[in-house]
Amino acid sequence: MAQEPNDLPQATGHRLEELEKGLFTSDLSVNEFLLVKEAGFHPVGFVMGSSIYHIGIQTRKWGSSQELTKLTEAMYNARELAMTRMEEEAAELGADGVVGVRLNVNYYEWGSDAAEFIAVGTAVKAEDGVSRLNALGKPFTSDLSGQDFWTLNQTGYAPQGLVMGTCVYHIAHRGLMSTLGSTGQNVELPNFTQALYEARELAMTRMQDEANRLGATGIVGVRLEEKSHQWGSHTIEFLALGTAVGKTGADVTLPRPTTIISLDN
Amino acid sequence: MSPLTPPSQDINLKDEMRRALAAYAAGPGSNPHGTTSDLSMDEELNLHSIGWEPVEFVGGFSAFSTPSLTWSWGQGEIGAASYAHEQAFDLALARLHQEAAAAGGHGVVGVQVTRSIHQSHTEVSLMGTAVRPVGAAAVDPQRVFTSDLSARDFTLLMVAGWEPLGLAAGASFVFAPRRSMGTVLSQQSQNVELTNFTEAMYNARETAMERMQSKALAMKGTGVVDVKVFEGPMYFASHAVGFTSWGTVVRLRADEHRHITPTVVVPLDDAVVAFEAATLGEV
Repeated sequence: MAQEPNDLPQATGHRLEELEKGLFTSDLSVNEFLLVKEAGFHPVGFVMGSSIYHIGIQTRKWGSSQELTKLTEAMYNARELAMTRMEEEAAELGADGVVGVRLNVNYYEWGSDAAEFIAVGTAVKAEDGVSRLNALGKPFTSDLSGQDFWTLNQTGYAPQGLVMGTCVYHIAHRGLMSTLGSTGQNVELPNFTQALYEARELAMTRMQDEANRLGATGIVGVRLEEKSHQWGSHTIEFLALGTAVGKTGADVTLPRPTTIISLDN
Repeated sequence: MSPLTPPSQDINLKDEMRRALAAYAAGPGSNPHGTTSDLSMDEELNLHSIGWEPVEFVGGFSAFSTPSLTWSWGQGEIGAASYAHEQAFDLALARLHQEAAAAGGHGVVGVQVTRSIHQSHTEVSLMGTAVRPVGAAAVDPQRVFTSDLSARDFTLLMVAGWEPLGLAAGASFVFAPRRSMGTVLSQQSQNVELTNFTEAMYNARETAMERMQSKALAMKGTGVVDVKVFEGPMYFASHAVGFTSWGTVVRLRADEHRHITPTVVVPLDDAVVAFEAATLGEV
């Protein structure tokens, strides 16, 4: 049930027009702003994408561990919609990429199964006029901060895209007999261990697949988040997020860091 | 005798109170002996390194009412709420500027923005340290700038050849459309995007950001940095969503951006809060 991202809502037009007149907005701090400039980029605008999504229902078997594909699909699809809309805004501004991307989920009172998926970040454009679009011809995205972005640039790598993998997994409840059997004993609970393992592996593999599609050589800053959202304790979403990077230039010799003892606390 | 021992003679509490009240009545800037500021030691040194000094801790506050029933039912934007937010912000800013100008400041940095939205009113409180180039004469309240950047960020910005122009804020509140019972039921078990909600959110967001941008353009800024956005449900109104944002408007002051080459450092203390004053050159 792939849902094609439709065009940006009407209201977006005017704000982006204003941005093209030369005003930029950015949620970068001053430090980050100066470092992004130092890395040879100029911020062009604060870009956002969001989608309010109704997550379907899938029945779970009490006693079996399994991936809930319908929920996984929903989480994927909604984030994809938000990300794509953010990228579209960036492309409209003629940006080469988006830095400091944050992905969030909001819940509202008016829809218990509806959640808002939001992606926000600062679109940047290379000052030398050379295009930095990624292998798919889209602006690169990255959840690295301005500081990390500069440091990454120093090493001769460039971000290619924010990659993610997700897996919603139902972990089986234990039967009465096995609960009784392990009372008072030190034992590993193999079914729990295995379920958590499999869910994490699935999420990580999906993230790596996305990175491969971008032709990246590595993923930095990977985070693995586990959330139950509103599904109860035995259903967990495993979300792996990171920035896929690729080598751009020749080898760089990094300057030796200076060790300092700062006087502030 | 340890320096921490209180003075042995009794303090006349009434006299102390009278002195404090007299100072309060005289208003800020009247104290010739010293300055008050919430800057830390190194922030103060940073300011001095670019030839600025703190003068006084100043504040501006405003509470603007929203009519009753504003939040309860309707369609589209909740105009009264958006208006209250804008007015509260503008009034608090005007008061802050007045106080800062009276104290001889040219700008206010490190402004803490506290904003709370209630059913009946919106409150905005701004507090920060008024600063000026060392020994400069007072200016008009209209020419005072405000910035929520810390004194340290202010220094960095000035060294890079930019200047803050003011604080720009934008807000928009909209009603989320209600789904009909039939739609709710038919979507019960499906994965679908709720396009009308998405559209409502977009409207709030775009309107709020656009208002912030218009304010920035009116100040003749070329950018807004450190934009903070807040969005989400309003706890007291189930079908309203709000989007608010503010940030510091900046403009290039020098002919061109001055590059500041960072030094890579490894701090040896636990907290990774490092800033090397030596990286700041002459302005």
